[in-house]
Amino acid sequence: MRISEQAKQENRSRILDKAAEIFTGKGFEDSTTRDIALAAGLAAGTLFNYFPSKETLAMTMVSEALVQGREDYLRRCTGREDLAEELFLFVASGLRRLRPLRPFLGPVLERSLSPFPRKNVCHEGETARQEHLAAVQAILVRQGFTEAPDYVAMTMYWSLYLGILAFWSNDTSPNQEASQALIDYSIRMFVQLITGSGAAGGDEHAE
Amino acid sequence: MRSDKIIETELLELLPKDRANDPTGKRLAELLARISMKKIPVNSFSRIWTLGSLQARVTAGYLAYWLRSRFRNADEKQRLKSEAHLAAALQLFGAMGYLRGAVMKVGQMLANLPEVVPEEFAEVLSALHFEAPPMHFAMVREVFLDEFGREPEELFATFDRQAFAAASLGQVHRARLHSGEEVAVKIQYPGIARTIKADLRNLRLLLQPLCLTIDWQDTLAKLADIERMLLMETDYTQEAMFCKLARSAFTAADQVVVPRIYDDYSTARVLTAEYLPGCHINDFLATDPGQGERDHFTRLLTVATYRLYYRLHWLPADPHPGNFIFMPDGRLGLIDFGCTLMLNDEEWIFSNVAIQAALDRDLPGLNRSMARACRFDDPDDMEPDHLEVIRQGFYWFMEPWQQEGLFDFGDRDFFMRGIDNVMEATRKGYTRSLPMTIWSNRFTFGGRAFCYKLKGRCEFRDIYLQESAGVQPNHT
Repeated sequence: MRISEQAKQENRSRILDKAAEIFTGKGFEDSTTRDIALAAGLAAGTLFNYFPSKETLAMTMVSEALVQGREDYLRRCTGREDLAEELFLFVASGLRRLRPLRPFLGPVLERSLSPFPRKNVCHEGETARQEHLAAVQAILVRQGFTEAPDYVAMTMYWSLYLGILAFWSNDTSPNQEASQALIDYSIRMFVQLITGSGAAGGDEHAE
Repeated sequence: MRSDKIIETELLELLPKDRANDPTGKRLAELLARISMKKIPVNSFSRIWTLGSLQARVTAGYLAYWLRSRFRNADEKQRLKSEAHLAAALQLFGAMGYLRGAVMKVGQMLANLPEVVPEEFAEVLSALHFEAPPMHFAMVREVFLDEFGREPEELFATFDRQAFAAASLGQVHRARLHSGEEVAVKIQYPGIARTIKADLRNLRLLLQPLCLTIDWQDTLAKLADIERMLLMETDYTQEAMFCKLARSAFTAADQVVVPRIYDDYSTARVLTAEYLPGCHINDFLATDPGQGERDHFTRLLTVATYRLYYRLHWLPADPHPGNFIFMPDGRLGLIDFGCTLMLNDEEWIFSNVAIQAALDRDLPGLNRSMARACRFDDPDDMEPDHLEVIRQGFYWFMEPWQQEGLFDFGDRDFFMRGIDNVMEATRKGYTRSLPMTIWSNRFTFGGRAFCYKLKGRCEFRDIYLQESAGVQPNHT
């Protein structure tokens, strides 16, 4: 039986909603696609028409949150930010949108965003990575960089970002305030790396 | 980047001088230079305050001075050993720094433990207090989203991106409410409380070898009290409560203003208060005010502090110059009540019994109070010289209370006698005392250093009589 595009969209968003509930309740590892299909009132087979795996499902949520985060950042950006501040705004806006998913995010990100070579690359994860890095490139261009940073700089950026995500997903401080300090410091490190300059007082000491 | 030579010259000027062993301050400067060459892993909170900066080194210098004073009478071997510990401690002090707020507070307090309070120190501290803020605006916005769910520009009609002052553990931005009022918005660094705890843990760790012999338990008790007060400062809800109580203690006729707090714009991490126009003491002094103006503000400051003491049983224990606003219309503004010690009934009675004994010239009674302040059961348990030095300090404190007419707080001899007494007590190791005395000393010396700088006079005894007449009985 063919169903309408609208019904498809409804199914899709119902699956995502239910999956978020179940992941939050049972954790990502202990949840099954069967649980999710059941909760969404669908046959397990039908669910696979929408999302081929549990991982894809979770990563879709992550991607959508990050897209929203990117929109937030563009809306919030005043054009008066310097490089470090603009990167901070970008990263923090994304994390804010990811916040509702935080309870189950650790294993999802570990599987989907791992920088190690894997047999099954998560398509959504790879897209999220590329979009994130493209946004960073756009920030660099806006901040007056004429050359794109080389793979070393971008790999370091990505490593720092993954480090932030890993720490943040496990950060027990109120409002993940400890992560805020980590983001700030990580970004300053990156800015220092690509500009070759000290970002703030006190850096002379580290020379 | 500034040349090292200039930094070294300035450093030498700013460092405390040990009259006997290091009259030029050169040895201390060398020690600091040596330590600042060493690499320590800095954390996100210390990027501003490694020992690379002049201010940090000056602060460390005072810390070194204080630590060293404990080994003045030690033998050479012990001194060398202590020097090694000192280097280690100072290095860590450099790493502690990001929270310039917290570190400066600790530095300030260490300086105000009754050990070192040379008058220049107030200068150094006030300069450090108004450092450029390290939180960029994007971070401020995140704090706002967490605290209010809204951006600063949404919450306020206007909001300055740049902070205009550093504050206790945060920074202050100017803003305007939609209803038109000008306000000062204080924002706290994310995660400062845990850094304070970590910093104090480190401090304890590093002070340990230095304090093995003398009153270590006493030092621990004081550090615990400092930690308690610092953590209390991180709760802006409590500060808001202090502000409101303080505000209610003054009328328009008093010419003392405590800014109004805007609750709808305040949380535990953000405090929005009425903006008070005016300047701080250095700018005020730069206008070359006449004696009348100096006396006027000295009187207001005295009324303000003793009103809070007698009516609310408070010691406003952060008499930092930045907390007093000289308003153009002649009023005195009091801001920042983060570090306020509320005396409990026992402390309040204890404090007044001592004051009364001094006023009545009741020597046995005064001795009993002094012994208690030094944590002895009985004056006879104290060495006579110990008792004498502490008592002299208290007499110094009480001098203004006993003089009829104008008291001149700008009198250099008077101020230096107070400093000398503290130095003597330190030199002789008479530092054991109730934790409360950290704050009462800070209250006294901070206030007197301020009035000394102001070269102001007031009829202190009249003010005391007037304010103590409005005394509130015990809270409980």
